[in-house]
Order: sequence, then structure tokens, then C-alpha cells
Amino acid sequence: MTRTLHLSLDINGRRHELDVEPRVTLLDALREHLALTGTKKGCDQGQCGACTCHVDGQRVLSCLTLAAQVEGRQITTIEGVAGPEGELHPVQAAFLEHDAFQCGYCTPGQIMSAVACIREGHAGSDDEIREYMSGNLCRCGAYNSIVAAVREAAEAAR
Amino acid sequence: MRDFSYSRAASLEDARQAILQPGAFVLAGGTTLLDLAKCGVTEPETVVDISHLAGLDAITVDEEGVTIGAIARMSAVADHPGVQAAFPAISESLSLAASAQLRNMATIGGNLLQRTRCAYFRDPAAFPACNKRVPGSGCSAIGGVTRNHAVLGVSDKCIASYPGDLAVALVAFDAVVDLGARQVTVEDFFLPYGDAPEQETVLRPGEVILGVKIRASAAGMKSTYLKVRDRQSYEFAAASAAVGLEFEEDGVTVRDIRVALGGVASKPWRARSVEQALIGKPLEAETVAWAARLAMDGAVSYSDNLYKIELAPRVITRAILTVGGLA
Amino acid sequence: MTIMEPRKHGSASDGLVGGRLSRFEGRMKITGAATYALEYPVEGVAHAVLVQSTIAAGRVTSIDTSAALAAPGVLLVLTPEDELGLMTASDWYGNRPENQPYFPLPREVSYNGQSIAAVVAESRELAVEAAKLLRIAYDEAPRVADLYDPAAGKGKLMENLSAGWGDAEAALAASPVRIEAEYSTPREYHVAMEPHGLTARWDGDRLTVWEPSQWTHGMQRNYAEWFGLPLENVQIVSPFIGGGFGSKGVALAYGAVAAAAARKLGRPVRLALTRPQNFTSYGGRAATRQTIALGATEDGVLQAIVHRGFNETSTYADVPEQTGAATPILYKVENFSSQSRVVPVNVVSPGALRGPGKNPSAFGIECAIEELAYKIGMDPLELRLKNYADHDYQSGKPWSTRRLREALTEGADAFGWSKRSHAPRSMREGRTLIGWGIGCGTFPVLRAPSAAMIRILGNGRVEVVSGAIDMGQGTYTILAQTASEAFGVPVEQIDVVLGDSRLPGSAIAGGSMLAGSITGAVHKTAAAARDELIGLALNDPMSPFRDTGANTLTVSEGRISVPSGEGLSLDLAELMAALGREEIEVTRNTLPDDAQGLTDQNNAWSSMARVQGPTMGDYSMHSWCAHFAEVRVDEDFGTVRVSRMVSAFDCGRLYNPKMVESQWRGGIIMGIGQALFEEGHVDGRNGRTVNNNVGDYLVPTNADIPDLQVISVGVPDYEASALGGKGVGEVGIVGVAPAIANAVFHATGKRIRDLPLTLEKLI
Repeated sequence: MTRTLHLSLDINGRRHELDVEPRVTLLDALREHLALTGTKKGCDQGQCGACTCHVDGQRVLSCLTLAAQVEGRQITTIEGVAGPEGELHPVQAAFLEHDAFQCGYCTPGQIMSAVACIREGHAGSDDEIREYMSGNLCRCGAYNSIVAAVREAAEAAR
Repeated sequence: MRDFSYSRAASLEDARQAILQPGAFVLAGGTTLLDLAKCGVTEPETVVDISHLAGLDAITVDEEGVTIGAIARMSAVADHPGVQAAFPAISESLSLAASAQLRNMATIGGNLLQRTRCAYFRDPAAFPACNKRVPGSGCSAIGGVTRNHAVLGVSDKCIASYPGDLAVALVAFDAVVDLGARQVTVEDFFLPYGDAPEQETVLRPGEVILGVKIRASAAGMKSTYLKVRDRQSYEFAAASAAVGLEFEEDGVTVRDIRVALGGVASKPWRARSVEQALIGKPLEAETVAWAARLAMDGAVSYSDNLYKIELAPRVITRAILTVGGLA
Repeated sequence: MTIMEPRKHGSASDGLVGGRLSRFEGRMKITGAATYALEYPVEGVAHAVLVQSTIAAGRVTSIDTSAALAAPGVLLVLTPEDELGLMTASDWYGNRPENQPYFPLPREVSYNGQSIAAVVAESRELAVEAAKLLRIAYDEAPRVADLYDPAAGKGKLMENLSAGWGDAEAALAASPVRIEAEYSTPREYHVAMEPHGLTARWDGDRLTVWEPSQWTHGMQRNYAEWFGLPLENVQIVSPFIGGGFGSKGVALAYGAVAAAAARKLGRPVRLALTRPQNFTSYGGRAATRQTIALGATEDGVLQAIVHRGFNETSTYADVPEQTGAATPILYKVENFSSQSRVVPVNVVSPGALRGPGKNPSAFGIECAIEELAYKIGMDPLELRLKNYADHDYQSGKPWSTRRLREALTEGADAFGWSKRSHAPRSMREGRTLIGWGIGCGTFPVLRAPSAAMIRILGNGRVEVVSGAIDMGQGTYTILAQTASEAFGVPVEQIDVVLGDSRLPGSAIAGGSMLAGSITGAVHKTAAAARDELIGLALNDPMSPFRDTGANTLTVSEGRISVPSGEGLSLDLAELMAALGREEIEVTRNTLPDDAQGLTDQNNAWSSMARVQGPTMGDYSMHSWCAHFAEVRVDEDFGTVRVSRMVSAFDCGRLYNPKMVESQWRGGIIMGIGQALFEEGHVDGRNGRTVNNNVGDYLVPTNADIPDLQVISVGVPDYEASALGGKGVGEVGIVGVAPAIANAVFHATGKRIRDLPLTLEKLI
């Protein structure tokens, strides 16, 4: 068969061991090998943002990241955003309150992007939020509510 | 993606050795390499990960200018206060590119080596003919849908456009690519298409980009990057211009001006004819509009992209008038 | 099957019909816990990938599979050579051709991007690489790339879509003012964020399919008929759908391929379409062209409308995209003529994409009406009100409800329309030209029957159970609200179970018909369940209420009580315990009494046979809207940005305004994409859509969308549905593109009649 690598990945504060081919992306490793399906595959070519997760606190696209590349890094996915008792992250709570999603498929990526957007300091105005959330396509068209949710969560974080 | 082996380079020298193997590719941000590997355009045998190498991501700004390490991330450079002060156009070219996520991944060195978005180049199964992929096989774009194709620096072998933004700003300010053993201006780093569109840069086997250096200039400090596209965000340029300007003491006469174009040419395109036409002249809207048209000398269109010949000078004009305080 | 925990925000009334309850299943979606079709863990799954044609027309003469079969991990290669033993399934209306085999990987190639082979391997990565090793030889035939191909011709007249009254040609010729123009729309795509795909597993002669579905019972029938199985042997599982917009209503060829491969291999098979394959594995909106001629008096009274439309279709099915759908009902006109033709080209059969027919139709008539307004120098709002249709001139029937006048006037007030400057190019800020435009929209009320089940559990919880689906419209939420209101239990006590063909049948989530249909069924069933519970409480020998002497009981806030007073009151769990019942199950449907047989029911849930159109009763019933758009156009660059929109809707009663507003905005945003960006670029040489990805086929980003103000002007319409609502999902997009095109004309003085309004058309 083909070559495989043994990887040890730090995901949501837990260590995960897996054997994968070197070509396996972080996205496929999460979804197909680790049953962490909250991270979504929308395009698999870096064009939609549905697969956004955090590597060392930075938002990245897991479809264009090899699983092998992130060994030794801290990975956070949507499953790791809420608190230990399941208490919602303020961004998650704001998404629910503002109805910032419909089908829910782009939503994990939107939330991962929003958490980072606020942390980066790019949520200073509605226009800035719009621009810095533009890497996450939403075909249901929840953009107004996404902006409102990010604005609210950013204000709460100040 | 074909099956490949993955290795982490322990050092630069290690990386240089590793990529001498046939089918070996440097992996940094991965945003181009993995994308093209998925399209089947690039078929790596080995990827050599340099993203963990220490010291290659430094950003230094001093009186001499700006030095950026090859694996500094686009977002880090865009948000660097020193870069924003010394070269607004460089910072803007980065912020207006791709998306926040991609800018957190993509490196400066990788960004220079970004490859064309030509739909025919990216679809080998349906369009086997592509001189970039298979030299001598022909160009599928010519006669096809060419709305996003280049009008400058093209040949009858290839009309693909260079898609990047950063390199356009770098070309405007005579940036230099540091290859270790040699230094090459960004302008010379990219090759004109001519008969060999598969050759895009002067990079030799075993060479790794270490970084770029840009000498400080008054024009750099008074600069902008203007990007025009269909969508407000997350799209390549229909046409873009990096412009820097320095006035004489009178505040009116052009002492130094830099103009480079993106989205319309086969490589990051320095528009020297526009610069020459304006140096020594007072900056006036009509003169600028006239001079901007000179950038299109020699432009060739395949109908769908005819609009670029009209659009690009307008983008140049607006950018110059903006930095000149006239727009 | 998924059981939901309720979420609730705001006041108590939020849980009732009409309240702004937050999305019921929302917590699962924001924590990553919602499981979409391709995410179900299925033991031993193999991975299939499709291989698609790279020519537009011809025949596959051979496929050399030897290298692919020798590649690591490859389990199976399917080509047109393989006899899969499938039979053609029924069409949309339940009609089935007899003894007609079905070939999901056909030898004949009808379009570029048609599936012609599949490779199954141990992993997706292995399958993808092996697929590249297939050596495919074609015998190419002449192709017709698109509507503009010289070989396309005039197509075929669709008699059933023609309409006419009065003498339109004569009235047009006699009109003092006439305009005539051609309007066109390109090939457009759904681009749901969740790509299509499925996992298929056989257990003996039972087939389970995990696939995103807008219609679990319809797709169950597709698979059952393909494979010659009894309906009950096929189960479609689809509790969450990552967007559909019309694309996930029927099973498609790739589904047959995956299920057939699973049967051949004797193990489950997962097939995920790549994003590019999503552009040709099912059809988007057909490209259209239409000419519209309007005749009017000098003071703007419409005398005649003559409409002639064309849309592309495939070479193997006549699929209309009816550009004459909105034309006859938006305005009062005594003389009307409309004809629609379909033009076969080498494209995958077009599908239904949000606002089918009405959408491109409104682009034509709503641009034309503003062209007339400018021609006679009249405010386009005034012209619309002047020609307001007091009834449906096509059917001759009265409207059930039509608050389009209120939509126009209240929308205009909110927008500030009265501050408008009439002349084109008269509003600007520096190099930015500003323009305002209006576009009206409409979508018919389609009525369909549905069934539902209510289960009262021993623990006091109440389950609402239906095979209906939720792709983001809010089915989970409004059904919890409906059951809460009808039964008298708080939403916190309700669970909603959806998205599985084993559950009671329902209307398709399409044509904006699901909400009105399924709320009616759930309301009826919940009321019946409440009555049954009260009956038990009054009559069961074990019931504590037997001793109270009460002859009726109330159910409210989850308690069953003796009416008006201090008497006995139990919560549901206490009553169920007293009755010694673990579960009470009540199922009802909204079919007529003479159609309650099993065959009737199966047909009702799996075909369109029982769907009633907007004029099948005594009234003409439609949703209505008016969009007001402000655009800013860069005079030098031709770039258009929508800077402001106000949209007023008459969709009858709103079951949950929070969900409805999201749906409206979603439709408007898709309309902004249609107006400004969306266009399949077809290479005329081989009919391939070359921008088959979301980096090149542009849909709006967050930065493209301003704050969208949406207003409801509707009143309950009990002709349209049991609870008074009309459809909300489709109508939002209808009229957006003409509002923007009209605003661009107002800004620039340039009338662009072919979508999208890209910059090269404006510089």
C-alpha cells in the first residue's frame, strides 16, 4: 500500500494518535479518522472557509493544511470552543440569539473565524467585521446576523 | 493528491538538499502547493516542510528599509506597524488578498511563487493542452473563456495572468529577493512568457527563497495599493495598481513615482512608461489619465478581457490621484 | 433520527406560533454536534469517486480500467460496460415508464461533466488517484454549447406554458407608447455549502442511504424503484441538510452509482462529490432569454404585454424555466400573450433553483416596467401602483390576499423613496454614482398534504415526529411551536424528530410548500393527541380525574387540569404514570377521507400528484414582495455595490418571524449574487463550465451585503394554509435582480439587460 505516518495531534487539549498517509489533510484527519465532524468540508480547495479551525490560536483552513504539518501545534476545532460543562462561548451564544445561521453547515467555520476575528482586533466596526469575515461563505445568507453576533460578542469581550 | 512522502527540514541546508530530488517541493503555507496538488497540476513525490524553521519569519523595519523573512505570514506582514508606515502599499496589497485564514497560512516566499488562476491550467483532465504544464502542448485558454486572462506580457503560447498582489507592490519599490547565494530584484525574479511559459521565475534547482528586502523610500511611505474586482472581498484582481509618489519641495511636481500593475499581466508588471511620463511634471488629473494609458502599450486582448485594457489605466489614474491627494 | 433539546430565548410567547423562538436545533449546529449525512460513522465503508466526461456530446467507446484496478486499495471500477440492473424510476408526478432500464453511467455523453465511471477504493485519497488512471476514449459528436450557440435554434414551444387573453398584438400596435427589449439570465448554480453525496449500506435486501434530502419520501421512492425494492426496504436518513435551494429534492445518478457499488461490493460505500462535480452532477437554473413588449397610454396605463421566452434545457428532457411565470400576474392588463420555448443544448438537465420561473420572469417584467416609467417620465413606484392588479387577470379569480400595494407603499416609506431624484445620473458622491430601483416579486402558494405523529412519553415529554426535513428554514422550530400551542405544553417539553423516510410522510421542502403543509398536519395531530389524552383522563379506570366528576379537562403549560378552579391538576408524567402508560402515539394526516389507503398515502408523500396549484380553488393565492435597492457604482471602474435595501413582504401569517426574516434575507442575498456576480462560464468549444468552483463562480461574501431591512405587511390567509401562512422561502429572491438592475440604470443611465451586472458592462 502507501506510506503512512504515525502522528500525535493536540486537538482541543487532548492528544490524539493516528496513522495516516502524509497526503491526508488536517480536515480529512479530523473528519474521517478522528470522528471530529464539526469541521466541515465545503469546497476542499481553500475557497469557502467551512473548514476553518485554529492552529496555535490562529484561524486557518484545514483543507489546505496537512495533518503532518500541525504535529506539535495546538489545534482547536468547533468541538473545543464551548466550556468544559458545555457552557456556550459568547460567540456561540450570540450566533444562537441573532439567528446567525440557517442550514448550519458553514456555521462551525463562521464561529471559529469569528472567535479569531475578535481576538485579532478586527471587529472594531461593522465594515471591519464584514471584511474580516469574508473568508467564510454562507449560501443561506446569514451575513447580517453574523455581523450582529460578532459585534455583540466583541463588545462583550471589551 | 498523489501519494507523497513528507519530511520536515531540520535546517535550510537540509531543505536545499532535499529539494534537489526529482519531484520534491518546498511546503511552507501550503495554500498553493496543496491546492495545485489537489487539482492534479502539481504531483509531488516529496514535500519538504520548512514552516517550522526558526528565524525565517522575522520582519525587520529600520531606516534602511524593510526585510521580511520567507516564511513570515501574510497577515503578520500586513498588520506590522513598521511595514504599514514605510510601505502602505505593501501592507494593503496583503490585506486585500485572499481571506484572513489564507493570510494566516500563506508565507511571503510562497506568495511570490503563487501560480496562475487560469481555469485551463487548473483543469488538466478536461484541457490536456497547456504550455505551462506540458511545454509544447498548446494553450487551451486562447479561444476559450478569457475574462480573467492577461493582456500584457502574453505570447501566443500562454495568456495566463499572474494572480498575486504582494509582488505587484514589491515590484513597484524595487524589492529584492534574497536567495542566499544571490540577490535578484523581484522584477527580474519573474520571467516574461515568450516561448517558455513553464518557466515562471529564475529560481534554480535547490534554491530556496530566504526573504525579500525593500529599500526605504519617500515614494514608499506615500503609497497605496488599489484593487478592483467584482466582489468586495476574497477575489483576485480584475486590475490592481501599486503606486508610490514623491513630490518636489513645491508639493506639486513629481520627483519620484512608482507604478506597477496586477491582474492584467503575465507577471507583476512595472509600468515604467507611466512613471517616465510623469516625472518632472506637475501632478494634474488630465496628465495622469493620459500617462496611465501608456501602460497599455502592446496590450493584447482575446475579447473577453478587452475591458482590462480600459480598466487598468483608470485604476492607475485613481491610485496616483489618491496618493497625490487629488482624488 | 435525532432528538432535539429545545432552546428558548425571550418571553414565554416566543414558544407559540408567531413567536420569535430561537432556532430549536441551534445548539447542535453551533457546537458541531449536528451530524450531516456524510458524517455518520458507518463501519467498513469504502469510498467512491466519480469520473466525469470531458466532452459535451458523443459516445464513450472504451475505458481502460487496468491501471486503475491495479492501483493500491482499489476495490471496484464501474463503467458503462457494467450492467447494474437498475430500472427507471417515476417522474416528479409519479408516472413511471414501463420496463425501461436506467443507466446512471451512460455510454452516450450528453454534456461535459456527465458521470461516466466510478472508482471505489479503501480511502477517498486512493480512489481519487486511481480515477486519474482510467484511459477513456470517446467518439465525439457535434455539440450545442449553450443558448447562444449558432446551432441552438429556436427550440420547442411549450404549449402548456403559453398564456393569453384579449388581443395583445393588436392592443400593442394601437398603444401610443411602446417599449420592447430582450432580457437574459445566465446559467446559475445552487452552491449549497454542503456538497452532495451519500453513504449507502445494504443489509440483505434493505438499503439505508444517508444523504442530504429535501424530500425523504420522494428519494426513498427513487431508490426503491431503481433497485426494484418495496418502499419500506429503503430508508433515507437526513436530519440535517447543509443547504439545498432546490438541488436536493430527488435522488441523482451518483446515488444510484454508490448504492449499486455497495451492492456489488457487499460493503457500505460513501460517495462525496467534489465541489467542481457539484456543478454538473445536477442542474442549476437554466439560462434564459426573453423579449417583452409593453404597450401603454401616455399617462402610463398598461394596454398590452407580449412576452416570448426561451430557456436552455438538456438534450434528454424538456425542463422549463418559465420566464412567463410572473409576467401575467404582477399588473392589471387586459391584453396579454406569453409563449415559452425550451432549447436543447448539451447541458445537464436544469433543476429548480430558488424561485424557479418567477425569478427570471420577474427580471424581465420588472425591468420592462421601469423602462416604461422612464420612457414616459413617471415615477416607477407610481406606475406600479397605477397598474395595480385588483384580481388575477390570468385566472379571472380574486386574490385570496394580496398586500403588494402595502408592500410598495410601506417599503417606499421605510426606504425614503419620496426623496428620490428622477433623472438618471442625478445622484452622486464624487466618482460614485448612486441609484435607486424597485423590483416586485411573487411566488405561488402550493398546497400539499402531510402526515405527522405525536408521541406522549411516560416521562411527560412530547415528541413531534415527521419525515419532513429542515435545511435551515426552521422546520424543527416552527413544529415545536405548533405542537406547543395546539397541545398546551411548553416548547421545553417538546422534542422534534425529523428527516427520516421511516417517519410519517410529508410534503417536499420545496416550492415553499412545506411549512404551510406540515404545520397544518402537526396542528391537527397535536390537537388530536390532546383530545385523546383528555379522553383517557376522563374515562380510563386508572385515571385520578375519574373521581372529580369533570366532563372536560384543559391542557395548558404542560399540565392537565379540571377547568376553572382549584381542582385536580397533574403534569403529563404524573398522568401517564397514573394511567400506567409508557407512550401514547397519535398519527394524523391532511389527506381527504377518500384517500386514506396505503397506496394513496404512499403516492401522496412520494410524488407531486396531490400538490395543488395557486388557482385550483376559488382564489388565486400567492406571496408578494417589493424590493427597494440603492446601489453605488464606481463611475470609472464599473463596480456595483448594493449599499442599502428595504424589502417588504406579504407572506401571510409568520409562524416564527425570526426564522422568516432569516429566510427573506437569505433569498435577497442570493438575489444580490444573481444580480452582480453569478454566471456559469461555458467554453463554447466543449460545453464545459470552466468556473466550476467557488473561487471562480462568485457568490456574495459578507462584505458584499449591507444591512437588509425586511418588513412584513401580510395578514393571515386561511385559504392558503391551515394556520394562515403563505410561502416565505422562494419569494425573497424574486424581484431582487431587477431592483438592482433598475437602480444601476438610475445611477448610470445604462440599461443592462443581461445578468450579471459585471463591471465590463458598465465601464
